[in-house]
Amino acid sequence: MGSVLWLSLRQLGGRWRLALVLLLAALPVALAATIRIFSNDDSSDENSFVNVLLDGLMVGGIMPIVVMALATAAFGNEVEDRTLGYLVLKPIPRWKIALPKFLATVLIGGPLLIGGGVLATVLGLDAGPQAAVAVGVGLFAGVVTYAAIFTWTGLISNFAIAFALIYVFLWEGLIASLIPGIEYFSVRGYTLAIMHGMDESTLDALSTRVSDLPTAIVGATVVTLLFFGLTVRRLLRMDVP
Amino acid sequence: MNATSTNPEASPTEPVIEVRGVSKWFGSVVALNDVSMNIHPGITGLLGPNGAGKTTLLHLISGQAKCSDGEVTVFGQQVRNNYQLYRRIGFLSEHETVYPFYTGRQFVEFAGKLNGLDSLASAVDHAIEQVGLSDVQNRSLGTYSRGMRQRMRLAATLVHDPEVLILDEPLSGTDPRQRVEFQGLIVRLAGEGKTILISSHILEEVEAVAGRILLMMSGKLAAAGNFRAIRAKLDEQAYKVRIVTDAPRVMAAALVQIDAVESVSIGADGDIVVLSHNVAALMKSVPRLAQEIQIRLMRVEPLDDSLESIFSYIVER
Repeated sequence: MGSVLWLSLRQLGGRWRLALVLLLAALPVALAATIRIFSNDDSSDENSFVNVLLDGLMVGGIMPIVVMALATAAFGNEVEDRTLGYLVLKPIPRWKIALPKFLATVLIGGPLLIGGGVLATVLGLDAGPQAAVAVGVGLFAGVVTYAAIFTWTGLISNFAIAFALIYVFLWEGLIASLIPGIEYFSVRGYTLAIMHGMDESTLDALSTRVSDLPTAIVGATVVTLLFFGLTVRRLLRMDVP
Repeated sequence: MNATSTNPEASPTEPVIEVRGVSKWFGSVVALNDVSMNIHPGITGLLGPNGAGKTTLLHLISGQAKCSDGEVTVFGQQVRNNYQLYRRIGFLSEHETVYPFYTGRQFVEFAGKLNGLDSLASAVDHAIEQVGLSDVQNRSLGTYSRGMRQRMRLAATLVHDPEVLILDEPLSGTDPRQRVEFQGLIVRLAGEGKTILISSHILEEVEAVAGRILLMMSGKLAAAGNFRAIRAKLDEQAYKVRIVTDAPRVMAAALVQIDAVESVSIGADGDIVVLSHNVAALMKSVPRLAQEIQIRLMRVEPLDDSLESIFSYIVER
């Protein structure tokens, strides 16, 4: 499995892709630093930070975009350039192919996104370790769950990015904001709920639109396992191009 | 059509690959239609024009695709998702893409690791030696020529010493010298008792190595058996060969003197198109002729369209 993981890291860790991820991960840090410099030290600034920068920009935009760019390419590029045969014709179970592909996305995207999010939180909220950990764990859960979904998407369709964009911006961005209860079926909802559940006082601005912590953890776990299983199933059943 | 691809010297062994009533369709397109064949140890050529269904058949045999109908077995076992059986099969795809960031050696090592080899280093050394690329093994694959890439891909296919080799258009991209070496290697491997199924749309490539052929046409098995018998049928029909030289008029004038040549024409692009009843003789004569009249020969190739007409001719008969 180590060989496939190393291959996947090389495939996904291209210079331009890494530069894009780094740039996007640094954006909230730069904005948080700006807010910090010009803030009035009142609670409305903190609420704005949580609602706009943490939820709207980081969790609702940058995280899914970065994970989408990595995870859809994990199998998508192999299908497109027809190198998938080098993996699937070897005597290894399909999960040992799917798992390193999924892990490569988490290992490349995770540290940068979590690092950026935590740093932005510390700067923007002048927060202590509890909030930083809450944001870090929440983002980790989000990255893992999105990675499972988008790895599968990259395997089933040539239009994986279009599918992913529709899911993120239509389902999670628009529909989830209009229809109550969608947060139970939304990675963004799980991410925010885990953050809020781990530090309710600092991230109080999220309280009106998140489920409770256990529900979010179970939801994120079920979705991750479900889509990982679907990826393995697809590898077992698909005709290799 | 059912076919048993047997050795002319009649092997009493069980077939290694059995294809029974296999069909494959993609939506409304039928790629293979009720194909049956048995393949024994030795070299079997899978011949047919582009689009005949050769690659689809090889994908079904190697377990990369699922049969819509029928069954494929290798060593009596179902192939698809049979990971233990994959250890005994080597597949070289027609697609030439590689991981460009790997060196040749890393690429072969990668294949060896995934095959779970114990003595990885010696197996990799041996595979690379077999394809004659030991001196460039530490160069990045991205810097290889098409022919070198093809040979290193073959090394990765051979690294686990598979008993069954399935090679899809393996000679594409190789120059004449590499082709001869490649063919020599295939013959050596067959001599070790391996079962080798090699596809091509070019008659001459298959003729050089395979004593028996399976002829595919429009998703069906059109003919099977001894190459010479089928080849004799092919030679009853004239077909076209394109010749590219730096002096087409001189070459055309010389070509009309050859017995095997029926007619010669020069296209607007300067390419010579020769109509011949005896392509084997023509292929042998052309390089010698070019040397005699001291002109540079850039390309000699049978035209696909004319190949298709030959296959059609066989099927009609």
